[in-house]
Amino acid sequence: MNSRALPAGLVLVLLAILVVAPLVGLVNLGGLPGYQPDDLQFWQSAYIRRVLSFSLWQALLSTLCSVLPAILVARAFALQPSFALRAFLLRLFALPLVVPAVVAVMGIVSVYGSDGWIPLGRSLYGLNGILLAHAFFNLPLAVRLLLPLWQTIPQSHWQLAEQLGMNAWQRWRFLEWPALREGLPGVVLLIFMLCLTSFAVVLTLGGGPRSTTLEVAIYQSLRFDFDPVRAVVLALLQLALCVLVATLTFRMQRLPEVEISIDPVTHDDCRGHKPANLVLILLATLFVATPMISMLVDALTGPVLAVLGSVALWQSVANTLFIGLTAASLAVVAGWFLLRYSASLALAGQPGRARVVDLAGSIIYVVPPLVIGTGTFVLLSAHVDVFTWIYPIVITINALMGLPFVIRSLGPAMRQNHARYHLLCQSLALEGWNRFRYVEWPLLRRPLGLATALAAALAMGDLGVIALFGTPATATLTLLIYQQLGAYLIPSATVTAILLLLLCLSVFWLLERGIGGRFDA
Amino acid sequence: MLEITQLKYAYPGTPGSTLCFDLDVNVGEVLSLIGPSGSGKSTLLNLVAGFLTPVSGQVLLDGLDILTLPAPERPVSIVFQQHNLFPHLDLYTNVALGIDPSLRLTRSQAGAVADAFERLGLSELQRRKPGELSGGQRQRAALARVLVRRRKVLLLDEAFAALGPAQRAEMIGLVKNLVHENNMVALLVSHQPRDALIASRRCAFVSGGRIAVLQSTNELLEQSQIPEVRDYLGSM
Repeated sequence: MNSRALPAGLVLVLLAILVVAPLVGLVNLGGLPGYQPDDLQFWQSAYIRRVLSFSLWQALLSTLCSVLPAILVARAFALQPSFALRAFLLRLFALPLVVPAVVAVMGIVSVYGSDGWIPLGRSLYGLNGILLAHAFFNLPLAVRLLLPLWQTIPQSHWQLAEQLGMNAWQRWRFLEWPALREGLPGVVLLIFMLCLTSFAVVLTLGGGPRSTTLEVAIYQSLRFDFDPVRAVVLALLQLALCVLVATLTFRMQRLPEVEISIDPVTHDDCRGHKPANLVLILLATLFVATPMISMLVDALTGPVLAVLGSVALWQSVANTLFIGLTAASLAVVAGWFLLRYSASLALAGQPGRARVVDLAGSIIYVVPPLVIGTGTFVLLSAHVDVFTWIYPIVITINALMGLPFVIRSLGPAMRQNHARYHLLCQSLALEGWNRFRYVEWPLLRRPLGLATALAAALAMGDLGVIALFGTPATATLTLLIYQQLGAYLIPSATVTAILLLLLCLSVFWLLERGIGGRFDA
Repeated sequence: MLEITQLKYAYPGTPGSTLCFDLDVNVGEVLSLIGPSGSGKSTLLNLVAGFLTPVSGQVLLDGLDILTLPAPERPVSIVFQQHNLFPHLDLYTNVALGIDPSLRLTRSQAGAVADAFERLGLSELQRRKPGELSGGQRQRAALARVLVRRRKVLLLDEAFAALGPAQRAEMIGLVKNLVHENNMVALLVSHQPRDALIASRRCAFVSGGRIAVLQSTNELLEQSQIPEVRDYLGSM
């Protein structure tokens, strides 16, 4: 076993334990207090059916509301390759990755709530609000995922289209749609999965009997009804759905058939400027920016001093930072070892096994946080007081949630670095610390900084497992906001939310720049 | 006859360095363009095709200025080194697109497509997709589209650079026949001096955004005393 396989193997074993143990806890129902075989009659109950169908229905609608407009907006960006603010707007579209779900929800309420700029009234709470919030997150994400597909269209195809006199419809049919078709199913399934397992949005904007998803129903069963059996049934159902969608995603990912273009871009823009494209981009920008702006306005006129003066707030800030930074470190270290191993597997002509190692890092997409949380709860509650174990549990689960982001932002760079320099390093006997210091750190610190920053922001903004286990003393900022919302302290919640947003953005910025170095390097 | 006169272009962002081309090509002639990368060979082709807009100048075909025409209406076909065919469409569709992008072909147009495949020896492969073919077959299909388009000017932008020497010679032979039979004019950009020798009686050496030398291919490639040309060719 080589020096790369060992640490990666340890990470893989840990991942397996973290996922399998809670599942064993779930399946092993016999030891639960108050378990009666009749309880599984729940399967047939109208409640489960309603929760299940609402979960799927809202995920389907959310996906449509995000992806269909995103196709138009991504196309508008692709066909307008140069205009002022383009790069800035695309960066703005990355913002929702860093915005915590509760903060986004507050922003949505601030714009579309009864006192907002576009009041939707009571109908905001329920399906409408959930769709708006999911679109807020996933429309920009889909734009950023779809835009590169247009860049796979070779320059010469645009030039041929022009020489052959193709109109907009023919270009869409012969150039754009074939390029889009390659990546679209993967994007659709990813967003469907994100909406299916979305927790904080549904908890805060839905949650009533008519708009509860599996994820929220698990939480309600454990936290309010203390009905672990129902929670377990729901969690297993959720698990089955996620495995199904993940399998589909895995099978859908096809490699594009196009050759990589090497033509230098030396042409006038032969795609033409269209005011309609700019209008589309403007509308999408307003959709993404208004919730944050409106909330900022609300917060500045809110009880800023009262909120800042509370001890609970600063306790939560400390908890949030602690959880965020520890979880990010764990995720980055685990991801680093996994990626180093998978890169060497890929170079050794085993791309299949390399892919499996990478996928193991994304296990949280298959086994959602609340399923792991529920399993851990069931497993540990027989032996210890779970509420004293809150930090290890929350940090571990948040690290698992950050891991896919580490894999995705660091993976390609790591693989390229390995493919280019591995033989050179071997011939120079550069290994271990020296290789890290001279070859890996200088060339990988930028993606590493991005990975760490994303993982930290994600963990800091997470309202999931902490809602399951959190107590006022161990509350994070997200839980504090949720509690303030529950007590109808909307102005205080808005101020706290802005504070959380600023905290996430600063930590993101500090980590990205601090680890990644200056961008002009 | 194709007459390019004082055709000037400035790259966006670098207005200081202006390219300026003067060149005549006779009907039935294939003229080779050689020169270092970045010297402006492809830019010249893109200007003639209408992908780039010149600052000033004239491109006359049989006395008519084609610069006033939008790219689709210019009497021009271009073949690139790669990506000439859409990978998800079969060869027949790729060629038929050259006649009408809405693919509504009359009976005689469909006949012309069939003839072009016949002429280039691709009749058996009409229903294949580009990914299933060799590089040479793909470039043949691109030439089949040139044939059905019936445009007078043919631009070849390193069209055969990815092929082996024997195949390159064969393709150049095909191009020469096409140009001769159909009274076309062709500009052939290549990095292989041997291609120029096979392809053309006259050859232009492009350097620094200008036609630096225009003379018989033999003299230019084998006897030139101009230092720039010698540097480019190295020891042959």
